Amino acid sequence: MSAMLDIKNLHAEIEDNEILRGLDLTVNPGEVHAIMGPNGSGKSTLANVLAGREEYEVTEGSVTYNGQDLLDMDPEERARDGVFLAFQYPVELPGVSTMQFLRTAVNAMREHRGEDEMNVAEFMKLMREKADFVNLDHSLMQRSVNEGFSGGEKKRAEIFQMAMLDPKLGILDETDSGLDIDALKIVSEGVNKLRADDRAFVLITHYQRLLNYIRPDVVHILMDGRIVKSGGFELAEELEAKGYEWIREHADDAVVA
Amino acid sequence: MIDTLEQTPTLREWIEAGPGDYVNGHATPFAALRARARTAFDHLGIPTRKDEAWKYTNIEKALRHDYALLDSDATPIVDASDVADYRIDGLDAYTLVVVNGTVVPELSDTDGLPAGVHIGSLREAATSHADVVERHLGQYADVESEAFIALNTASDLNGVFLQIDKSVTLERPIQIVHVTNTDEDAFVQTRNLYLFGENSEALVVETYHSASDVKTFGNRVSEVVVERAARINLLQLQTEGDNASQVNTLQIEQDAASYFAAHTYTLGGALVRNNVNAVPNAEGCETHLYGLYILDGEQHVDNHTLVDHAKPNCFSNELYRGIVDGRSTGVFNGKVFVRRDAQQTNAYQSSQGVVLSDDASHHSKPELEIYADDVKCSHGSTTGEVEPEHVFYLRSRGLSEQQAKSLLLYAFAHDIVTELPHEALRTYLDALIEDRLNAQLLG
Amino acid sequence: MPTYTEHDLIADIEKEEGGYKYGFVTETDADTIPKGLSEEVVRLISEKKGEPEWMLEWRLKAYRHVLTLLEDDEHYPRWAHLDYTEPDFQAISYYSAPGKKPKYNSLDEVDPELLETFERLGISLMEQKRLVGIEDKETMPVAVDVVMDSVSVATTFKEELAKQGIIFCSMGEAIENHPDLVREYIGSVVPYTDNFYAALNSAVFSDGSFCYIPKGVRCPMELSTYFRINAAGTGQFERTLIVCEDGGYVSYLEGCTAPMRDENQLHAAVVEIIAKEDAEVKYSTIQNWYPGNDEGVGGVYNFVTKRGICEGKRSKISWTQLETGSAVTWKYPSVILKGDDSVGEFYSVAFTKGAQQADTGTKMIHLGKRTKSTIISKGVSAGTSNNSYRGLVKINKKAEGARNFSQCDSLLLGDKCGAHTFPYIEINNSTAKVEHEATTSKVGEDQMFYCMQRGISEQDALNLIVNGFAKQILAKLPMEFAVEAQKLLSIQLEGSVG
Repeated sequence: MSAMLDIKNLHAEIEDNEILRGLDLTVNPGEVHAIMGPNGSGKSTLANVLAGREEYEVTEGSVTYNGQDLLDMDPEERARDGVFLAFQYPVELPGVSTMQFLRTAVNAMREHRGEDEMNVAEFMKLMREKADFVNLDHSLMQRSVNEGFSGGEKKRAEIFQMAMLDPKLGILDETDSGLDIDALKIVSEGVNKLRADDRAFVLITHYQRLLNYIRPDVVHILMDGRIVKSGGFELAEELEAKGYEWIREHADDAVVA
Repeated sequence: MIDTLEQTPTLREWIEAGPGDYVNGHATPFAALRARARTAFDHLGIPTRKDEAWKYTNIEKALRHDYALLDSDATPIVDASDVADYRIDGLDAYTLVVVNGTVVPELSDTDGLPAGVHIGSLREAATSHADVVERHLGQYADVESEAFIALNTASDLNGVFLQIDKSVTLERPIQIVHVTNTDEDAFVQTRNLYLFGENSEALVVETYHSASDVKTFGNRVSEVVVERAARINLLQLQTEGDNASQVNTLQIEQDAASYFAAHTYTLGGALVRNNVNAVPNAEGCETHLYGLYILDGEQHVDNHTLVDHAKPNCFSNELYRGIVDGRSTGVFNGKVFVRRDAQQTNAYQSSQGVVLSDDASHHSKPELEIYADDVKCSHGSTTGEVEPEHVFYLRSRGLSEQQAKSLLLYAFAHDIVTELPHEALRTYLDALIEDRLNAQLLG
Repeated sequence: MPTYTEHDLIADIEKEEGGYKYGFVTETDADTIPKGLSEEVVRLISEKKGEPEWMLEWRLKAYRHVLTLLEDDEHYPRWAHLDYTEPDFQAISYYSAPGKKPKYNSLDEVDPELLETFERLGISLMEQKRLVGIEDKETMPVAVDVVMDSVSVATTFKEELAKQGIIFCSMGEAIENHPDLVREYIGSVVPYTDNFYAALNSAVFSDGSFCYIPKGVRCPMELSTYFRINAAGTGQFERTLIVCEDGGYVSYLEGCTAPMRDENQLHAAVVEIIAKEDAEVKYSTIQNWYPGNDEGVGGVYNFVTKRGICEGKRSKISWTQLETGSAVTWKYPSVILKGDDSVGEFYSVAFTKGAQQADTGTKMIHLGKRTKSTIISKGVSAGTSNNSYRGLVKINKKAEGARNFSQCDSLLLGDKCGAHTFPYIEINNSTAKVEHEATTSKVGEDQMFYCMQRGISEQDALNLIVNGFAKQILAKLPMEFAVEAQKLLSIQLEGSVG
């Protein structure tokens, strides 16, 4: 089985500050990887680099996605090829209704795959179905994207969009932050329903909490721009119990790869 | 132009007679600058209401009066006890007294000023600080742009010179007391130059007073240079009587990472026009313009502000509030200008007016002129009455209608006062505002 | 966001086959009088139109006023934030009517080329069907009064409207058939002394539309007029007059596109609206005159005076506009709120690109008690254009309890354009409440990235965001117009990202 995502020795900087310093990561189809790390370790940088944000400059290393050079692709090409980023802070688009926004996105993807545009009836049906997936009020579809949404609604809307766009690789950037336990359960349930053999997830989080609901196959610990330790779910539990300081002390003898 | 001058005979007379370019056979300072200003004034003429910048103020009419040109060389006679009254109660400050545009050292009290601070007359500074005065005087207040700047620059250029050296922090404020004292109706020109050195810090308070009841018209121009990382607050407190009119221009030039706040209070005067022009001319500047005007009777006050963002990464914030009563007119005309290179500018402007009488008028013209794309700029303006619901609420708690209104208006004005970083001054201003509001609402 | 340069713009224009999409010339014979302005020309226009003596007298009075204004150096509006050369008034042809006496009995007789023109102008299929007499029952019907080069060519649905006493016809016909009405109201809201262009229009207006809604009648369909400039070198001086009697209602649409021209064309229209007690008039405009090349050469000068008066109690006038064309626009649709409790509204989207300059806004003059006005203005600037909002809110001394809310938002695309806001707020009453808010910002990189992360192309992302910005206004347009407006905005946005 060839890897879906293969990151080798990735270095990236923003405004001349090096954030990622030689990150390696391999994700296979069907797998769920959790990346945990303290603030400033480079978690969000990784998510943004994978999605193609221009402010981040990759200075070294490679990212291969399904055999293609991901770093060479425009953000929308990556999206059309199945890379989905659930944003930590989803932006508001005043005046742009969620429905109009998603129709444009869905049809852009279909066109990319050589499929016809989805007709309105089909689209509406799909949208209602996926909204129920994360318990999202249908009236939100008529409202402007993320405008006036509560924190929890924004996060659920991100998962709903993911369900609509049917990606191959879902990257969730701190989707758990700011969610109460009920919302966390809904979001997690949504993600779990989307788990499939041909789909992979990268969960970026500070805390173990999310991982209690979305069981990862592999847990990585990111510190100072590199993966310093990888293991199973028990690593997350250990981290929760002992804290990041413990990792820092044991980092040198624990570096994997 | 000639027509306008014909209507203002004293100005014409003055322009023609002019202060001599030579005194005792020596060339007076600034001769070239003054000559340029005279040409500019001839070209510009007194503005009329057809000029956008003077749309709401008929300055020509205000000048059409037989003012005598005040001879600033004559030794002004002012009683020391009068001056004592002009000092701000409870304010521990260095004091400089300026009568009819001329600094009077014997009435001033600048003892204990730290080394590196020079304050005195501009005319003397032209000799004692010749280099620095020549480098700055007339460099910021553009004679070509505005008739009153030209007129002022063509005068004998006397007023206050203040220089604070690099890294000097003034612990106490400086109060500059301007007194007009004359027994005939007079036209007074004052020119100030304030230089705040790199990393210096100061609070300067200007107050204006009339010692007699005759009509006066002041044309005041202050040039303020705020060097790198300096932190400066300037309070202009206008409390003159009903016979005093003025055009007051404050021209501010800021260098990198400097902080400047202007606090302009107009509580008195017949016709007052304030031009506050700030040019944050390097990156990282912070500019605050605060204004408060409380008007009654026939008062007419026109606040004209400009923040000219020429360089990137600057922040400006403007907050003006006005209360107009009687048959008075209040004007706020503020412009935020963002030039092409001034990316990452954050500029905010807010003006609020309360109209207390149907015979009073309030005009606002908050403008944004923006040529850079990566900016965040906004302005808001509201004009209205004292919120009846709020008044009702207070009355239901036992306050009289007058008390309720007075309290609400006081709170409205007080927001401006809180921006002043000096407790004794805030206390003084609060009391002044309260008196003024009580007198107004009860009178 | 990558910046869009002038260079890119030129490249884009070259890419577009044939340049300006609506730039073409219809080959109809035109009856054009010689260029220049003189009393003779004014008389000739009046004579050609077979006007009564009073109309000619009124024109001549206006003409004499133009002459006095031309002598005065100050006649020309100079306060606007615009930079252009004053047109040469002697180089303009003041009248041009399509030849072959265009009075058709049915639309079948209409020049096929003309119908094709409509198609290219993008007049919706539905309206085209109506033009050829096929009814579409699914939506509200639209009556179209077509103005080609100033003379009304065809008016549809006139009969159906007539049954309800509604008069909808060309100004020429109105002068002929309803002289008393025209005489009573023409120049009553915009007198010829109002400003230079209003005077010029009054002297030489060629045609326009007239609309009269009798007492208590709600006009059952949207009334629509398409104005176009056609013959080369002709100025367009329409005059529109809408009178809505007590309790009447009408929604009026006006849309314009113009063919490509080398020289500047002057468009100086006048629109007057009178709303009586409880009457309501909605006036919607899409303006897409030719904007000129990237340096603004050859574009239309659009200097329009539009004003309505809420004469009666509880009357209401709404102006809604989408301004995307013209080299220079100078336009302030206004409302005089005379009747107590009357309402004035102004909703505007102005899009400028290339070297376009727009100085547009409104005036709300509050005279009556408890009068209310709302102003929402959205400006989008791209290229090297300059887009200014200029608006006056005036609360008269007697306007007890008047209210105004104004909001002006500007969006900048690129770093070579300008967005400006010049509100004038004049309050002379202590019970007034006036609020004004304005913001200026650029399209956020975060917003663009968010869209692109969902697979949406940069161009579509910009489209979505700008349309979202303008949505509040576009939603005020009648349905079919709103769709056209959205399309127009998207076409205009093409090439605004690099």
